[in-house]
Amino acid sequence: MPTPDLSDELKAAPEPLLPIEKKLIGSSLGLGLALLVLLVFANHLIPFN
Amino acid sequence: MSEATLTAEAAAPARLSEEWLAVVIGLGVFALGLLSVAGIDALGWVATTSVWTDPTTALAPVSKAHAGLGGGASLVLAYLALMIVLSAGAAALGEDVKRFALAFTLVFVIAYASWFVGAWARLAAVTPAEQAKFGLSWSLKLTSEGGFIVALIAGLAVANFFPRFAERLKSAIRPELNIKIAIVILGAFIAVTAAGKLNLASSLLLRGVAAIVEAYLIYWPVVYLIARKGFGFSREWSAPLASGISICGVAAAIATGGAIRARPQVPVLVSSLVVIFAVVEVLILPALANAFMSHEPLVAAAWMGLAVKTDGAAVAAGGITQSLIQASAAADGINYQPGWMLSVTATVKVFIDVFIGVWAFILATIWTNHINPRADKAKAIEIWRRFPKFILGFVATFAIALVLALATPAGTSGKLAAAIGEANVLRVIFFTLTFFAIGVMSNFRKLWEDGLGKLAAVYVVSLFGFVIWVGFVISWLFFAGVKPPLVS
Repeated sequence: MPTPDLSDELKAAPEPLLPIEKKLIGSSLGLGLALLVLLVFANHLIPFN
Repeated sequence: MSEATLTAEAAAPARLSEEWLAVVIGLGVFALGLLSVAGIDALGWVATTSVWTDPTTALAPVSKAHAGLGGGASLVLAYLALMIVLSAGAAALGEDVKRFALAFTLVFVIAYASWFVGAWARLAAVTPAEQAKFGLSWSLKLTSEGGFIVALIAGLAVANFFPRFAERLKSAIRPELNIKIAIVILGAFIAVTAAGKLNLASSLLLRGVAAIVEAYLIYWPVVYLIARKGFGFSREWSAPLASGISICGVAAAIATGGAIRARPQVPVLVSSLVVIFAVVEVLILPALANAFMSHEPLVAAAWMGLAVKTDGAAVAAGGITQSLIQASAAADGINYQPGWMLSVTATVKVFIDVFIGVWAFILATIWTNHINPRADKAKAIEIWRRFPKFILGFVATFAIALVLALATPAGTSGKLAAAIGEANVLRVIFFTLTFFAIGVMSNFRKLWEDGLGKLAAVYVVSLFGFVIWVGFVISWLFFAGVKPPLVS
C-alpha cells in the first residue's frame, strides 16, 4: 500500500506555482482585503444591538 | 498530486464506485436521522460515548427513548448495523464480503475502543467546569476529538508491532470510503449548528461575514502561499494544511483533501497536527485574553473563534475565556450576564464552518479543471467523471438541513437538532474508523522521523506568526467597545 514519503517529497524539486494558483491566491487575497475594508466601514455605520 | 488510491484489490467487478457508495450511505444515514422529526426514531439506538471517569457510565444509546437498551446492547446493535451496511457496500464494490465482515469486526472493536479511551475525562475534559465536574485537578484537554488521536496511535501500534494482524485487517481498512461517508453526514450537522445560532446572528451578521472573509479569503491564501513558496510543500499537502490552519481544523482539512483528491494520509496527518496545536492554543490563548483583554470581553471571545482551530477546542477556549474574564470583572464589581462570550465564540466559528462545502466545491472545481487536467480535459463528461461526487452529498445534506432548520418553527427546532445529532454519532464513528485505518496502513514512523517537523513548522509559523494576530486585529476592529449586558 502506498504511503506518503514526506522526506522524499520535500527533497524533490518543488512544484512551481501554476498561473491558476497565483490567480487563486491573488484574487482571494484581493477580494478578502477589499471586503474587509467595506465591512469595517459598514461596522461603523451599523451599531451592535 | 498523487492519484494513488488505497482501496483493497477488487475480487469482482464493482457495481458502484466508492464515491457514489459514500453518497448513498451518507444520505441514507441522514434520511434515517430525519425520520425522528416525524416521530420515527430510526437511529436513537446507536451507541454514543460520553466523557467519563466511571467507565460503566460512558456508553448509552444516543436517544433517551432507547435508554432501556443500555450501552452494551446499543453498541452491539451499532456494530451489527454498520457491518451489514458496509458488507453490502463491499459487495457492491466487488469485494469478498465474508473476508470484509470478519476484518471489519476487528477494526470496529479497536476503533470504538479508541473513541471510548479518548473520552476518558483525564484526556478529554477541557474547561475548569468539566474538570471540577469529574473531580480532576488536571487533564490533557484533548476534547472528545482526542479519540481520533487514540485511534491513530492504535492503528500505528498495529501496523508497527503486529504486521501479521494488520494484514488480516486489510480488507476492512478503507479510509477513503469512511472519510467520504463522514463528510456527507457532516454537512447536515454543520447546517443545524449554524441555524441554531442564527438568532444571535441578527446582531452578529456583519461580524460573522468578516470572520468568513478572514478565514477563507485572507488566512487561506497566505497559509497556502507560505506552505508552497516558503516551505516547498506540494499542492497536495499545502491545500489541506491551509484549510486546517485557516478554517475549522479537522473537518476542513479532510473535506479539502477529498476535494483535491489527496491521498487520505495527507489530511489525516494534517488533522492530527490541528488537534495537537488546538490543545496548545486552548492552554495559552484564554490566559492571554484574560491578561490583556478582560476590559474587552467580546473582542476576546471573537478572537477565540477566529484563532483556535477545531470547533470543540474553539468553543472550549471561549468557555474558559468567559470563566476567566467573568471572574476578573466580578473582582472589579462588574457582573456580566453569562453566556454572551461563549455565544460570540460559537457564532463566529459557526459562520466560518458554514462555507466549508462551498470552499471544497470551489477547490474541487479548480483542481479538476486546472491543476490535474487530463489530455482530454475539454470534454465536460471527463470533468464530471473526475469530480469528487461525495462533495455533492455534503452540499446536499447541508442545504437540506439548513432549509429544514430555518423553516422549522422555534418550538420544534430541537427535534431537528436531535435528529441530526443522532446521525452525527455515526459520523464520529466513521471518522474514528478513518483515523484507525490510516494508522494501520501508513508508515508514520518514517514521517515523524523525516518530514513531520517541517509540516509542524508551517503550522507554527502560520498560526503563531499570522493567524492569531490577524484574528486579534479583526476581532478588535469589529467588537471593540461592545460589552455583554450586565446582570440586573
